Amino acid sequence: MSCQLAILCLLTLLLPPLSRGAPMSPAERITQAYNLALSMQENMSTLLQTYLQAQGSPFSDPGFSAPELQLSSLPPADISFKTWNALDDGERLSRVQGAFLALTQHLQLVGDDQRDLNPDNPILLAQLRDARLRAQGMLGNVAAIMTALGLPNPRAEDTLGLVPFGASAFERKCRGYIVIREYGHWTDRAVRDLALFKAKYPS
Amino acid sequence: MSVDQFEHHLKFFSSSRTDCIARMMDIFLCLKQPSRMVDSKRMRMTSNFQWILLTFLLLYLMNQVSSQKKRTPHDLKCVTNNLQVWDCSWRAPSGAGRGAAYEVCIENGSHSCYRLEKNTKIPALSPGDHEVTINFGSSISKFTLNEKDVSFIPDTPEILNLSADFSTSTLHLKWNDKGSVFPRHSNVIWEIKILRKKNMEIVKIMTHNTTLNGKDTVHHWSWTSDMPLECATHYVGIRCHIDDPKFSGHKEWSNWSLLKNISWSSDSQTKVFPQDKVILVGSDITVCCVTQEKVVLALIGSTNCPLIHLDGENVAIKIHNISASESSGTNVVFSVEDNMFGTVIFAGYPPDIPQKLNCETYDLKEIVCTWNPGRPTSLVGPRNTSYTLFESFSGKCVRYKRAEVPTNESYQLFFQMLSNQEIYNFTLNARNPLGQSESTLLVNVTEKVHPHTPTSVKVKDINSTAVTLSWHLPGNFAKIKLLCQIEINKTNSVHELRNITMKGVENSSYLIAVDKLNPYTIYTFRIRCSTKPFWKWSKWSNEKQYLTTEAIPSKGPDTWREWSSDGKNLIIYWKPLSINEANGKILSYNVSCSSDEETQSLSEILDPQHKAEIQLDKNDYIISVVAKNSVGSSPPSKIASMEIPNDQFRPGVRYNFFLYGCRNQGYQLLRSIIGYVEELAPTVAPNFTVEDTSADSILVRWEDIPVEELRGFLRGYLFYFEKGERDTSKMRGLESGRSDIKVKNITDISQKTLRIVDLQGKTSYHLVLRAYTDGGMGPEKSMFVVTKENSVGLIIAILIPVAVAVIVGVVTSILCYRKREWIKETFYPDIPNPENCKALQFQKSVCEGSSALKTLEMNRCTPNNVEVLETRSMVPKTEDTEIISAVAERPEDSSDVEPENHVVVSYCPPVIEEEIANPGADEAGGASQVIYIDIQSMYQPQAKPEEEPENDPVGGAGYKPQMHLPVTSTVEDLAAEDDLDKTAGYRPQANVNTWNLVSPDSPRSTDSSSEIVSFGSPCSINSRQFLIPPKDEESPKSSGGGWSFTNFFQNKPND
Repeated sequence: MSCQLAILCLLTLLLPPLSRGAPMSPAERITQAYNLALSMQENMSTLLQTYLQAQGSPFSDPGFSAPELQLSSLPPADISFKTWNALDDGERLSRVQGAFLALTQHLQLVGDDQRDLNPDNPILLAQLRDARLRAQGMLGNVAAIMTALGLPNPRAEDTLGLVPFGASAFERKCRGYIVIREYGHWTDRAVRDLALFKAKYPS
Repeated sequence: MSVDQFEHHLKFFSSSRTDCIARMMDIFLCLKQPSRMVDSKRMRMTSNFQWILLTFLLLYLMNQVSSQKKRTPHDLKCVTNNLQVWDCSWRAPSGAGRGAAYEVCIENGSHSCYRLEKNTKIPALSPGDHEVTINFGSSISKFTLNEKDVSFIPDTPEILNLSADFSTSTLHLKWNDKGSVFPRHSNVIWEIKILRKKNMEIVKIMTHNTTLNGKDTVHHWSWTSDMPLECATHYVGIRCHIDDPKFSGHKEWSNWSLLKNISWSSDSQTKVFPQDKVILVGSDITVCCVTQEKVVLALIGSTNCPLIHLDGENVAIKIHNISASESSGTNVVFSVEDNMFGTVIFAGYPPDIPQKLNCETYDLKEIVCTWNPGRPTSLVGPRNTSYTLFESFSGKCVRYKRAEVPTNESYQLFFQMLSNQEIYNFTLNARNPLGQSESTLLVNVTEKVHPHTPTSVKVKDINSTAVTLSWHLPGNFAKIKLLCQIEINKTNSVHELRNITMKGVENSSYLIAVDKLNPYTIYTFRIRCSTKPFWKWSKWSNEKQYLTTEAIPSKGPDTWREWSSDGKNLIIYWKPLSINEANGKILSYNVSCSSDEETQSLSEILDPQHKAEIQLDKNDYIISVVAKNSVGSSPPSKIASMEIPNDQFRPGVRYNFFLYGCRNQGYQLLRSIIGYVEELAPTVAPNFTVEDTSADSILVRWEDIPVEELRGFLRGYLFYFEKGERDTSKMRGLESGRSDIKVKNITDISQKTLRIVDLQGKTSYHLVLRAYTDGGMGPEKSMFVVTKENSVGLIIAILIPVAVAVIVGVVTSILCYRKREWIKETFYPDIPNPENCKALQFQKSVCEGSSALKTLEMNRCTPNNVEVLETRSMVPKTEDTEIISAVAERPEDSSDVEPENHVVVSYCPPVIEEEIANPGADEAGGASQVIYIDIQSMYQPQAKPEEEPENDPVGGAGYKPQMHLPVTSTVEDLAAEDDLDKTAGYRPQANVNTWNLVSPDSPRSTDSSSEIVSFGSPCSINSRQFLIPPKDEESPKSSGGGWSFTNFFQNKPND
């Protein structure tokens, strides 16, 4: 719990990066975003485990994995190395930003779903809320990097418009699983992307 | 073909023929028998052939009859579908072509004929036989027609509509019974069949009963499928059976209607049905997967399920007896090759009846109803139980909003009270997708008030013993009475509870007065309230501490006085008032002394000082002391003093003092005190006698000693006893340390008898009794007693030897009688055997020892007894007489005298004899102690002239201590001394309480607490002189040392 509180405090520092008095250098912003991505990565497996555990068997069975489940409203994190390597700074950052924008909205949806399905599991609900806040934090950080690097900042768009609200409980469980799984994949990719930026823009 | 073969063929043939043919066969078989017998004869052959011809003839005849029948109409049959018209038909005669005309005549009361083609519809005939004639050309057929032969087959029903509610898996069927065609009311049984899948497996056949009422009626019927309707095509068919009670013919089922079907038009997406279904724990459910891919696996949770194949690739699974789901439901998953589909089932329970429904109010503004949900439903979130509280008199209701986190703790709902309504009839309805339940409660809220915790407790002064207490109790209690409890806590005191009934108010503020408090005391108040009639206490309010105001001191300080050492000044002491008496902080004291002539007041003495000194003459004075606090002065405490000269009193004499107060009505005895200036030892020993003796005990009784001879307060008796006779040398002093002397200290002075037990029988005992006071031991009185013999022992001692002697005698006699021959031979032989003669043996044994040579041996003469005459050495008698008197005069402390210092007492008193004390001792006790010393000193040289007097310290210590205190009062007096120390050396000389309260006979009874009871001036200080050497350990302990005057008023304990 104290760990979560510490992260929340960190997030409050990170969320309004532009409002701070002294403007930060791009390298500082990259480092900050990179550290956030690392902390997100650390909490990833716990979140997925907690989530699956709460959905009942077969989701909670050990080694559960359903790579075949996909969600069209979420951009896939998988990318060929060649393509990834060839991305320019603006494209790389805007893809991360787009993904985390979608993830933020999807995590909100998953949180709502779980409030219906698992209202008696406050730990899960709190972890989902934390994940959403971290995704928002990442969104803000990436936007700040783009501003610092002088890259065009695309407008945020509603990625969730097509999400069917009348989804069945099973669909919601699956949707939550995909969102959290993709959140993990995108976190991994963000760590790699930001590591690249760190190397490119040393402080 | 042989005959046998033919027979065989015929036999085979016959089995499938009519009776007629069978009969022919029998004939034929009869004929065949002789043919076997005469097989070779031709005649027989001819006969067989005739039989075959006969057979054919018969067959021909039968055919002729049959063809005759086929030439006329036959097989008349009638059916009806509405009971009004019979539809009759018959078989047309052979040769009749299509369109052949018939004339049908029916004898139905009147003769009616119809010209018809093959079938005819005739109106229903009345019950009974009717003759029907059908003419066809020249041939006429006659039938008998009865209603019983008519079949009633209703028309095939038609399904008007078949619809489905997929969400509930329910089929709705609609059809018309066409009842208008039937003349009468009759019951109809509808049979409905449900078929499933494309191969139309029958799932269910059910019946449905209705009544025809002469009108066309549309009927509805619904059926819920155990399998979701989406899973497979469902077909429905219907037929009916009309049970008309008046129709006596055959009633048959109608034909099945055309089947109608329901199927789910799927887009090509795979779907699982049902979705998010809530079902009861323990029920069965079928789940299907509508797909075009091949399902490889179905799981319920993690359990594999056998697949039931439906049309196409669709599959279903059946779950039996489902167990309660966890909160996120039970997952059912169908896996196709590269994907998974599923659904969630929520198995739970309908809501339990709400338990422990209780409605009460805190403030008569709002009613709080609480309840327990009972058994968990296993359903959460949107499926959780919703509660509605409905009040039937007002018709209002409140809904319970679902808590984010469901708990099994009590739920609560608030209901706004309505003005002018006291009685509420609540119904709490619990509902979830599986059902509902409710519980009701009729409540009079004015009897169910559970007040809030009182707040804002405030205390204000009224006076020093009363305060007002105010508090705030939220709520409108104007219509009811409150019962409040005030807890009053005083430090180091038990808490006190006071109940107060008060009228409730509207504005929540309450105020009461609390009286009977002590001034200048810290109190802690707290309050709780309930209502009348009692329902529940509120919680206790916070504690409120308060110090009451000061009041004037309730009494003056305890005072006493003392002359200064030079005798010129009077020192006045007083004891600080206790908190209870001071009623505040004492600031100062006023002291004044008044005599007949003048009143002398001292200036104000500030508090920490509790003593004052006044220069006064030795007159009679009244001294008064007043304590003052901020409120005022205490009543004065006065002591009066009067001095009685010391030389009027003598030691060892009992004085009675009577103190009278001068009142308006005259003199009144305030108190009487008995005391001695100085206690002395008793001058006489108590008279005692032996009441009873037995073999092992002696009962002794003694008498009181007169007061004049007691010379002090009697503290007890010492009783010594030892074995000893009057004339033996053991009669010595009763020193302590001698183990054979037993001592009993009798401190209960009311005891007048003593039983000494565990003594030996027929033994002389020396008994000594003496009394003692705080002044010392009195003289002894001794006595000798012989205990009685132990008679049982004596009898046993006689009986046993006698019995032994008799037994030995008897045994000896028997032995002697039995061995009499041997005895006679041995001791009294008739004729001595010469061989036994020893005199004649010597020749034989010449060479044997010289002893054998003796013929006669003479015993030496020895004396039988030696008597030695001895003389006893006795103590000279002359000494005895002298010592008798010495014993009588022995001092009371002689137990300390060393044994060797005494002369052995050896005289022979009678068995019981009183030793009379020396009259000289009386004189010594009655006189002074100087005389006592003289007696001692006179005695010592007499007994041991060679010894120095100092060797006997007690004997030499003739001076008796004057300050002896009671033996029994050691603890009390120690405590008293402690108290004296506490009061910083002040010794009150005028204890007001003891003046007034104590009865004259028990002066010490109130003194258990502190002060030593004594009054008067310390003028007897001069007489205190320690003239004696250190006391021996037997002496009663002394206490209260420094004041010799205390001895003056040594009081009797337990008087």
